[in-house]
Amino acid sequence: MKRLIAIVEDEPAIRDNYAAAFTREGYLVRAYGNRAQAMAAFGARLPDLAVIDVSLEDEPEGGFELCRQLRSLSAELPIIFLTARDSELDAVSGLRLGADDFLTKDISLAHLIARVNALFRRLDALRRPPGEQGQMVRRGPLTLDVERMRVEWTAKVVLLSLTEFWIVHALARHPGHVKNRQQLMDAANVVLDDNTITSHVKRIRRKFQSVDPAFDALQTVYGMGYRWVD
Amino acid sequence: MSLRLKLLLLGLATLVLPWDGIRYAREMEAALRQSEQHALQAVSETIAASLQGRNGLLYRDPAAPAPARLGAYDLTPLVLTAAPYIDGYPDDWPRDPGAWRHYGAGAHRFGILTGVHDRMLYVLLEVRDPRLVFDAPGASPLESSALGDRVWIGYEDPQGAQQQEFLALSGPGPIFARRIEVGEYGKETAVEDPRIVGALQPTATGYDVEIAMPLSMVGTDFGVLLDDRDRRGAAPLSYGTLRSSDLHTLGRLIVASPSLTPYLAQFMQPGMRLSVTTPSGAVLAASDELAVPGVLAPEPGILTQIYRRFVDRQGEPPYIMSSAPIYDAAHHALIGKLQVTQAANRWEGLRDRALTRLLDKTLVTSAIAVILTFVFAAHLAVRLSRLRRASETALTRDGLVTQFPETSAPDELGDVARSFSRLLGRLGEYTGYLRSLAGKLAHEIRTPLTIVRSSLENLESEEVSPAARQYLERARHGSERLNAILVAMGAATRVEEAIGNADRWRFDLTPVIASAVSAYRVAFPERRFAAELPAEALEIDGAPDLIVQLLDKLIDNAVDFSPVGGTITVRLRREPDAAVLEVDNPGPPLAPEARGRLFESLWQSRSGGDSRPHFGLGLYIVRLIAEFHGGSAAAADLPGGVRFGVRLPFPQAPLLPNYNDNAKLESI
Repeated sequence: MKRLIAIVEDEPAIRDNYAAAFTREGYLVRAYGNRAQAMAAFGARLPDLAVIDVSLEDEPEGGFELCRQLRSLSAELPIIFLTARDSELDAVSGLRLGADDFLTKDISLAHLIARVNALFRRLDALRRPPGEQGQMVRRGPLTLDVERMRVEWTAKVVLLSLTEFWIVHALARHPGHVKNRQQLMDAANVVLDDNTITSHVKRIRRKFQSVDPAFDALQTVYGMGYRWVD
Repeated sequence: MSLRLKLLLLGLATLVLPWDGIRYAREMEAALRQSEQHALQAVSETIAASLQGRNGLLYRDPAAPAPARLGAYDLTPLVLTAAPYIDGYPDDWPRDPGAWRHYGAGAHRFGILTGVHDRMLYVLLEVRDPRLVFDAPGASPLESSALGDRVWIGYEDPQGAQQQEFLALSGPGPIFARRIEVGEYGKETAVEDPRIVGALQPTATGYDVEIAMPLSMVGTDFGVLLDDRDRRGAAPLSYGTLRSSDLHTLGRLIVASPSLTPYLAQFMQPGMRLSVTTPSGAVLAASDELAVPGVLAPEPGILTQIYRRFVDRQGEPPYIMSSAPIYDAAHHALIGKLQVTQAANRWEGLRDRALTRLLDKTLVTSAIAVILTFVFAAHLAVRLSRLRRASETALTRDGLVTQFPETSAPDELGDVARSFSRLLGRLGEYTGYLRSLAGKLAHEIRTPLTIVRSSLENLESEEVSPAARQYLERARHGSERLNAILVAMGAATRVEEAIGNADRWRFDLTPVIASAVSAYRVAFPERRFAAELPAEALEIDGAPDLIVQLLDKLIDNAVDFSPVGGTITVRLRREPDAAVLEVDNPGPPLAPEARGRLFESLWQSRSGGDSRPHFGLGLYIVRLIAEFHGGSAAAADLPGGVRFGVRLPFPQAPLLPNYNDNAKLESI
């Protein structure tokens, strides 16, 4: 059965382009122009994944509200925010509401589809029986469950967004190697400017430090990039 | 010249008021003086008219004809102010050379001075006599062989009889007058006349004789004769004011009538002098109260004295004088003259009071005007300089419009301030619009760009001809460039945001810069990088990420402006209160118009020709980050290059928590 992706986007051209791309990938797509339409449809049937624009018609932050409502209907449903804004504040609030990823609209369709695929893979992995072990990366106190995109530090779960997970994954796979920002962007299937990468890294550090204040494994090599230290 | 000074000078112009007042006072005074002169003339003419034809009031001898001309033997005694002391010394007589009459010639001559005072006639003789011969002591004054020098007085008594008396010179000191009386049998006796007092003192050239006698003894005529002998008993050489031969031809004694002075006294006023003279000018009677201070001329105050200094004309006589002729009854012969002198300052008190009041008022008015002008000028200057300060600081370096002080002053200056405020308000709106334009534009363009890009990406999955694919590729390339422009446009906003969210901690600049420079060597292989770093740690409080970003911008700038193969020097050094990070590049000197604006938002001086988008934000970001660290950014020309430098002050505050990431940083 085809997976159902809901696109909530007030700009018809973008909405149709995204819908066309997802359809081409073999997904079932339902597109909505505003929050009311979307909620009405979600009440009838929940999609398997939702791509939501933050500003919806006359609601500048309607996407956030929609996300909150959607999250109340399902805790596991993957939600991706798309926005024309690149304010870091938006990203933080979006992720706090339980979105799995927060992307600006300059992301390419290929990158977007890669993310959607990854999120579905994780969904699949999560539905498998827990005993079944997938591909695991272990670096000292760090455990990465690549399929479930689950991160543990000293046996405590660290909740990361998809982009953050990919960044940690890229760094931790080769500890000690310096990855520059471009490499991290490639790994995270995203095109970001330097400041955004820096704030992603900062956010990752903060999340690890919230479970272990002594966390120090993600280091900055000034002018070069970042590296994971065991 | 400042506004304050100009207005003060303007205020000083009111000083013309007191100056004018002084001139007015002077003119007033001149007019007053003139009118007083006229009044005095009228007074003198009135008095003179009252004396017309009254010879008897003028002269002791009413019968005597008016002495139109003095005869050689006529004497006009001075009117003495005090009685001389009869001691033979002339020192208590007035010094009046014109009043002396001289008789005789050669070695034998004398000068005579006569005077009247209080109904007494005084005579002073100054005799030149090489040989003073006294009478023989003890001898009878009538014994001819014992006779020495002798003074004769001849006069006509009130009864009209001729009288002669002589004063025998018996020695220095008092001498006595005697009259020769012929008794029975023709016997002559010398009878001493006690009414006449005399005294003699020898002098170097002769002797002086003083004589006093009551005027009542004397009628119209009077004369003096000297018998000068070279030895006792010798024949005398006689000369004098009367002819020696008969002692009878006397000169007249021209003296005022006793009632003249009381008559004049009724016209007297304080500060006035009245005198009646003979037609030839000899004073007959005078009543002098010039020195008596007028009741209207009290002692002037200090202020008045100061004012007088300005008002009084130099060299102006302190008196006004007037004279009038006195005619006889027929009004054709002059019998005397009346002279009236009056102190010019008789009305001084009155005048001074008016003058003081006038000058006080004008001076106070001027002073108030000057003070008011000055206060007004100061107030104006304060307001102007406040306006100037406000207008100078209204625009900050990055073009932000700060608050402009509101004013409610209802004058032109207030209007200026208000229009300035309005102007700045509009400028502020405009600047704000410009500043937000880049961000808004980026935001607004993003959506259509997303449409274009997603459409192109969808198109790539469609079957298209190779020729069409070529166009597709070009379109995709174009849209990517457009995206890069959008990213660049939003860069400053994102840095401002990053600064807003940045954490500060204490870190050592040296390894951060060292690490970054090694990265640049890899990133820009066409440039050489020289790092001049201190051996010591330079710790500041801040965000190392931002410092690296700042250095990135400086290096980008240096790479853009330096030739391939050029050496870019990165220098970190310690100054007393700050760490200084400098990037030198061998590029062209700074454009003159760029000076001072380099670090402003949206300023750029490069001339394009580069595929990368530039919005003049790089150095603005440098400044933002430097200011976040409490520092500043500057640029300067070097010989053969340009230097961009950033000062990062050392922390004053206690230590922030040390960031562990940084402590373990290895340099690569």
